[in-house]
Amino acid sequence: MPTPVSTARQCLTEEAARALDGAVSVAKRRSHAQTTTLHVLSALIALPSSILREACSRARRSAYSPRLQFRALELSAGVSLDRLPSSKGASDEPPISNSLMTAIKRSQANQRRHPETFHLYQQLNSCQPSISAVKVELKHFVLSILDDPIVSRVFGEAGFWSTDIKFAILNPPTISRFAKTRCPPLFSGNFSELELNKRGFNFPFPGVVENVDENSRRVGQILVKENLRNPLLIGVCANDALKNFVESLQRGKIEVLPKEIYGLSVISIEKEISEFINGGLSEDRMRLKFIELRDMVAKCEGPGIILNYGDLRVFVDVESVDAVNLMVSELKRLLNNSGGKLWLIGAVADDNSYKKLLARFSSIETDWDLHLLPITSSIEGLSSRSSLMGSFIPFGGFFPLPSEYEPPSTSQSSTLCNLCKEKYAQEVSVLKGGPTDSVVGQQSENLSSWLQIAERDLSKSSGAVEAIDDKTVLDAKVTGLQRKWSDICQHLHRTRSFQEENSPRSQFLGDQPSQVVSVLKESTRAGSLLDEGRITNLSPCNSLDLQNKLKPVASDIDANAKAELQVQGWKIHQLEMNVLQNPSRAQHNWSLPVDCTLSPSVTPVTTDLGLGTLYACAGEERRNFNPKEHYDCTPYFSGSSRTSENTSHQVAQSSYCSYGQLEKRIDGKDLEYPWKVLAENVYWQIEAIRTISQTVSRCRTGNGSSRGSDKRNVWFSFLGPDKVGKRKIAAALAETIFGRKGHLLSVDVESQFEIRVCNSIFDHQDSEYYGLKKCGRKMVVDYIAEELSRRPHSVVLIENIERADFLVQNSLSQAIKIGKFRDSHGREIGINNAVFVLTSRFLKAHDDLFSGKVSYEFSEEIISDAKNFQMQILVGSTSGSYSRNRTGNVLVTPSKVTAIPCSVNKRKLVNNESTKAGMPKRMCEMSRSNLDLNLPIEEMEQDSDIDKCDSESNYEVWLEELLGHVDENVVFKPFDFDSLAQKILNVINFGFQKVVGPDNFLEIDREVMVQILAAAWLTGREKAVEDWIEQVLFSSLMEAHQRCHVTDSVMKLVACEGLVVEEQFSGVCLPTRIILN
Amino acid sequence: MGQSILESLNVQVEGSGRRILVLAHGIGTDQSAWKHILPYFLRDYRVVRYDLVCAGSVNPDYFNFRRYTTLDAYVDDLLDILDSLGVERCAYVGHSVSAMIGILASIRRPELFSKLIFIGASPRFLNDVDYHGGFEQGEIERVFLAMEANYEAWVNGFAPLAVGADVPTAVREFSRTLFNMRPDITLFVSRTVFNSDLRGVLGLVKVPCSIIQTARDVSVPMSVATYLKNHLGGRSTVHLLDIEGHLPHLSNPDLLAEVLRRALAR
Repeated sequence: MPTPVSTARQCLTEEAARALDGAVSVAKRRSHAQTTTLHVLSALIALPSSILREACSRARRSAYSPRLQFRALELSAGVSLDRLPSSKGASDEPPISNSLMTAIKRSQANQRRHPETFHLYQQLNSCQPSISAVKVELKHFVLSILDDPIVSRVFGEAGFWSTDIKFAILNPPTISRFAKTRCPPLFSGNFSELELNKRGFNFPFPGVVENVDENSRRVGQILVKENLRNPLLIGVCANDALKNFVESLQRGKIEVLPKEIYGLSVISIEKEISEFINGGLSEDRMRLKFIELRDMVAKCEGPGIILNYGDLRVFVDVESVDAVNLMVSELKRLLNNSGGKLWLIGAVADDNSYKKLLARFSSIETDWDLHLLPITSSIEGLSSRSSLMGSFIPFGGFFPLPSEYEPPSTSQSSTLCNLCKEKYAQEVSVLKGGPTDSVVGQQSENLSSWLQIAERDLSKSSGAVEAIDDKTVLDAKVTGLQRKWSDICQHLHRTRSFQEENSPRSQFLGDQPSQVVSVLKESTRAGSLLDEGRITNLSPCNSLDLQNKLKPVASDIDANAKAELQVQGWKIHQLEMNVLQNPSRAQHNWSLPVDCTLSPSVTPVTTDLGLGTLYACAGEERRNFNPKEHYDCTPYFSGSSRTSENTSHQVAQSSYCSYGQLEKRIDGKDLEYPWKVLAENVYWQIEAIRTISQTVSRCRTGNGSSRGSDKRNVWFSFLGPDKVGKRKIAAALAETIFGRKGHLLSVDVESQFEIRVCNSIFDHQDSEYYGLKKCGRKMVVDYIAEELSRRPHSVVLIENIERADFLVQNSLSQAIKIGKFRDSHGREIGINNAVFVLTSRFLKAHDDLFSGKVSYEFSEEIISDAKNFQMQILVGSTSGSYSRNRTGNVLVTPSKVTAIPCSVNKRKLVNNESTKAGMPKRMCEMSRSNLDLNLPIEEMEQDSDIDKCDSESNYEVWLEELLGHVDENVVFKPFDFDSLAQKILNVINFGFQKVVGPDNFLEIDREVMVQILAAAWLTGREKAVEDWIEQVLFSSLMEAHQRCHVTDSVMKLVACEGLVVEEQFSGVCLPTRIILN
Repeated sequence: MGQSILESLNVQVEGSGRRILVLAHGIGTDQSAWKHILPYFLRDYRVVRYDLVCAGSVNPDYFNFRRYTTLDAYVDDLLDILDSLGVERCAYVGHSVSAMIGILASIRRPELFSKLIFIGASPRFLNDVDYHGGFEQGEIERVFLAMEANYEAWVNGFAPLAVGADVPTAVREFSRTLFNMRPDITLFVSRTVFNSDLRGVLGLVKVPCSIIQTARDVSVPMSVATYLKNHLGGRSTVHLLDIEGHLPHLSNPDLLAEVLRRALAR
């Protein structure tokens, strides 16, 4: 969304606003819809004496005359403007584009950080705390415009480097010599000290040579090594990089190489090798070539020769092993006899070829003294793509392509060593005829670029040179001199000081160390300005962030207050609900007159009542009204009568009576009742239920007596198998203690890491009955804490506790000790009214129980994979293989996916083995088998042996400690699926013979059997599955039998893959009808 | 360089463990991206975090446009940091571009790394013959053009896409760090990354690797994770996360932390 011009102008000083006006008028003239940074640029260029022009002339690096280069800049700006679409209905003042507005904001932030004006803005801020109060000066405005990529592209096209220009703007023209005295460090304190630290120097520019691409530079670095100095470039772009390197050497770009090995020549025998290996070249000729090479190496006077053998692929791909063998050994011989004067270089496109090569010549790595150099990008390859070239223009200066703007003399003068430079300087001054030690520092901006550079390099002679009038003549002569001296220098003095060579910036500004330091200081200052500017610049984001940070604090405070309020609110609400519920039910059986008279009287009392008991009480009451259960429970209600009056009485009583009384009554006898119901539901865990009920009554009675002083939370751990049983019991616990299922908060620490089976029969069940929600993207601790603060009276079921993450571990350990649960932000939530149930599949003390599981045909693991698919009956005729000697007519057949039982067995084996080694290992084993199906089983076994690392043992310690603290460790027995399966089969067999006849057979697919078993496990009614068999299965079988009219048939009960059960039979997760074919 | 690179790249070492864990962020974020992951590892590890030189939190002047033309320069930085800290062996977690950096660093100094874990890693983002990297050259050019034209708008559009999942805080956080980068640097680094191709060198990695891949990642298709697994030279595993987005450490930190912990334990 563009910004109106007037708004933008408010942010600027008069000078900058004028520039903006200029830009707006440019945009208007060209009838562009918006004013962009480009318009500003063009306006700035158009001004005859602008800060930008001045900076450009100082930052200029090219050989062209300034006038020409400015013209180029104007042109490229114009061209860029031409590219912008013009709009028909351009307004009087084309509004400010987003990018320009961003630039303005950036400069505001920048400027605010500027120390010169810092105090001013501090004062301003005190009354007007927004950075919009800052009026941007032209300098900062220009700086931020230069940041814009479009603008830097324009500069790039004109041969400028926008960073240089920025640098020039930040540094006043006088800086070159007296920077230190005139510009004190802007940032006092450790920052500038740090940057003054010599060691700190190197970081931004360690050894970067201009004009050399990274890949070649790296190759060069390897060449100067003591050993492993023969680079083998490897990677998709390796061949390009090699070509690039060799070409630049051949073109005589010596700066590619480190200075130690200047003058290295390169010989490519790539062609000969490939011809020879492919049979195009005779062996004799090849040997001749090698002899020739040997001579060359021997005669070589310089540092040596690089032998380029090209792409190694020819060595690998070809059939004729002999030829390759010869090549490898010849090259090795050549290398060994060279006396350190020979390097080998080559490339290979991928590691596969390299591996093949290694397989063939196992010692090639040492024989050739190879250094593998991964090459991951190719500049050359990239720039050859025309589509990319265009967009690379903004970085015109960045890429090491031979740049047309690069002055030819730069590299030459830069290669001069000090001694030669002095001599050169002397000659130059002799040429001029003036004294060598004349004025320094009056730098003329009219000098052409190379002279300027020369001048900087030879700061002593520059003054002399400058005085000459006839420049063109002098130019030529000085160039000649320069060439001469650089030649001499190359031959004689190959060592040069590091600074000269490497740091472009230090060269740019002269050699004196002090100067360099101050300049660098400047530059870092500039950098830090930009840097910090960037941070403040983002005020919208930042303030948001700040808000975020503030929010938790606020909500923290809130949470406490709210929690209290909520508790009260809840109580009232809850009580009212119960009271309201009562009459509505009562209407049928009893006449309960008191609904409205009761509730007001209840409200004030609630605050005094212990909540847990109230809910328990409510739960009791509700059951009470259930006619069917009426008979069962009334005996437990001591002192309550069976009349309608009494029930209403009881409500009233429970509201009015004292806490202690109520507590006693309910905890004493009545608690037994719900457990009985539960025991019917989860009939296979009667012992566990008994333990739990005892613990609950023990803990809660104890709490009742010493209320408030002691901990009132109850902790259970449910250990062992039977996931479903645990969940059911936890849900029942919630209902029993707090009166409603809604008070179960259940978190499966593991579920989010599992790759869940689609259409699992448990999916449906999970969401429907147990309120198992994924905690989404919140952290588990945060989720628990949040839910607990909302509903402090909850049963918290944490499944698979052994896999809890570090934070959950910490929070739980703390909670069990001090009764406060901490979330990830460190906030603590009281858990005094909560009941924690921690479940784990593993038992400590009963390993035998666990390992016994392996023998089961249907293990819990298999049942957990049960799908919720529709079933189908297929009918076929008996084949001969069906003999009558079978005991029953019904059998379970392995399902189509035979892999399942087998792979399960394999996994089980792993588990089984590890059980012997103890619990932690098994734990990690289990987790692995769940998580990484892509890891071969053998590997997993190996791993567990290798890495039994700290964290795992930490886990063990933690878990042991935690389990030591819980109120009761409840051990669960495994659900006996096998005998259930047998029972079901018997029922089916019996019925099948009756319904269909003894001559027929029924094959039940294993998958279906698993599904039936899972349903039986999940259902609340023991008889539900039998009912389903009677009502659904048999009727379907009968119908199928009637349809096909065959006396002896085989019926198959199979699952319809992908077809999910739509309607469920009452109370059990099985389809209401079975599809017949 | 010793001291200086540690300061320049904001290297931070926290935690009380014995072993060393390096967390390296990807493009568009800085080390703050790990802040939700960090607490999980402080007990068992000494955690080293640093900023890539291109990050918004690093002085942009350190970004030398000539030096950082290939990933090798970033590798130099990483190795320099580890050397300055005196690290002899460490586990390395790298996100996106840092995964590439980790691969290259482990090729150069295999003894330094006990384990590499990659999040949203890709050896090459561009499609090629027989390789599906997820991006066409033309697409990328358009993205770059958009980036050039209006960086802010591009950030606002790109951030939710990259985060993938509907997690406003993560989007905000990513936008913040992405916008913190200087536009020209972002563009330049993106080009460097898209220009990189590690396919030929994966086999040289001998360190065991874990590849963490989310179910839907705008930058890295699933096939890339498989490609990495098949071509990496060391023993490698793929962990699939059942979440979306390129930045699981922002959008789903506890899940990622858990997976990281397991991957590290292996």
